Amino acid sequence: MRIKSLIAFFLAVLVSLAAGTHRWGDSSHAIGLMSANGGKTRHPSFLKSGWDRYTQITTATVLPPYHGDVSVALEGYPSLDYEIRLSAPVVDLGMHRLPVFKDNILYDLQPKDRLTLWVHMRTFPRDPVCGMAVREGDLSLNHKGHTVYFCAKGCLERFKADPERYKNIKGPQGRYDLAFYDTRTGQSVLKVPLIFKSKEEPPDASCAHQ
Amino acid sequence: MHHAHINKPGVLTRHRYWIMALALVLFLPPLSFLFQFTGDSNFCGTWCPRMFFVWRKGAGLDAYFMGYLRSFMGAALVLGILATTFFFGRYWCSHLCPIGGAMEMGSRLVPKFLKIDFSRVPAVPLRYGYLAVYFGAAALGIGSLCCGYCNFATIPRLFGAPFSGADLAYFLRTAGLINLGLVLLLGVFAKGGRAYCNLLCPIGALDALVNRFGFRWGKRVVVAASRCTGCGQCLDRCPTWAIDMPEKTARIDALSCMPCGACESACPTRAIRCQKSQVNPAPKVRTAYEKA
Repeated sequence: MRIKSLIAFFLAVLVSLAAGTHRWGDSSHAIGLMSANGGKTRHPSFLKSGWDRYTQITTATVLPPYHGDVSVALEGYPSLDYEIRLSAPVVDLGMHRLPVFKDNILYDLQPKDRLTLWVHMRTFPRDPVCGMAVREGDLSLNHKGHTVYFCAKGCLERFKADPERYKNIKGPQGRYDLAFYDTRTGQSVLKVPLIFKSKEEPPDASCAHQ
Repeated sequence: MHHAHINKPGVLTRHRYWIMALALVLFLPPLSFLFQFTGDSNFCGTWCPRMFFVWRKGAGLDAYFMGYLRSFMGAALVLGILATTFFFGRYWCSHLCPIGGAMEMGSRLVPKFLKIDFSRVPAVPLRYGYLAVYFGAAALGIGSLCCGYCNFATIPRLFGAPFSGADLAYFLRTAGLINLGLVLLLGVFAKGGRAYCNLLCPIGALDALVNRFGFRWGKRVVVAASRCTGCGQCLDRCPTWAIDMPEKTARIDALSCMPCGACESACPTRAIRCQKSQVNPAPKVRTAYEKA
């Protein structure tokens, strides 16, 4: 009986360890402080390349004395489709004043306001050789049942010559920012870095487009 | 004690579903009534009851106690739960917890033939294996189970998702879908609706320890051996499979029991009561799986 319990205990430890240490990489959370002098992020959000959609959650607190209206945008190249939603009670009982979020602008932020934004992103297909964003209708090739798009003929030729070399290159890479600007002064009040990592950087990121 | 009182399950047992329903309304969307006192809309943030007590590698004492301040409502809630458990039993788990309550209520909507019986699963070692990693992974700095696998994050968003895009966004990611799967598998589709509570709730795991080690001093669900006929009707009704039946007398494991009163209602001889214990807790409980 004791042996069975011990086995169950260690089985639970193993499964929980696997669950607790694995990161899926399609969502991430960051905490920020908003202030007139650019704000502060506790740590960047790390995401893994290769997903076609991502969720980033930013929890921010407004440091006194800052107050104002703030626009929010996801900055980075190539641009991603994104939607930002503010977490708020479904039925507002009016116990606390909440900032209004409309058309990606937070209206009437007050000192000590706490807010949670859910950023939902979708990626475009990318050129596997140089990492550039491509759209349907660009140069393409059918590779193992998938349509692969290219920015230019040179990249397509390189891919054809050695497709194995480019197999890991998917999705956005590098740094994006969830950027908050005071609408009156245009000054940055918070920048939350989102860093997309893949196993490899694009091998030919600097290739000359022909 | 009054005779009529002995012959009827307690008032908290008889009205448990009404109390659970009230807790769902007070805590969960669309109203999120209690959260709005502090300007929150769910358990995440000020009300987070699951992260403040976990020590993370590299955190000094000041950073550790900052966590208590950051989640002061969650900290007050958990300390209150543990204190009431010590003296009165686990009424938070059985009557008030909106997360366990939502899963149990959900399981009542599922037809019987679809329900999964987890009673052969050894709950106690699995629960504390999970809890060991819950604390250990953070202390070693190798990962975390806190937010990624949290039904206190999942259930309120499930209730909010039809109304709010932000709540819906919670499920548009791998972690959200895994959490939804766990809530359905171990909650809604579990017989009794409480397998998640019994296996994967860290507050429940801490609460169970207080329940077990405070047994001597507080009110607990106990069996009057002289009245027990060994009919076994309580075994089938227990949502946390905490009862076994050695030598034709029911025995309740205080490490898994919560005072839901399912066994109390089921007992034809009214041998089970929630009261101040006169007997020692079952010293070593052989659960159904151990006998197998």
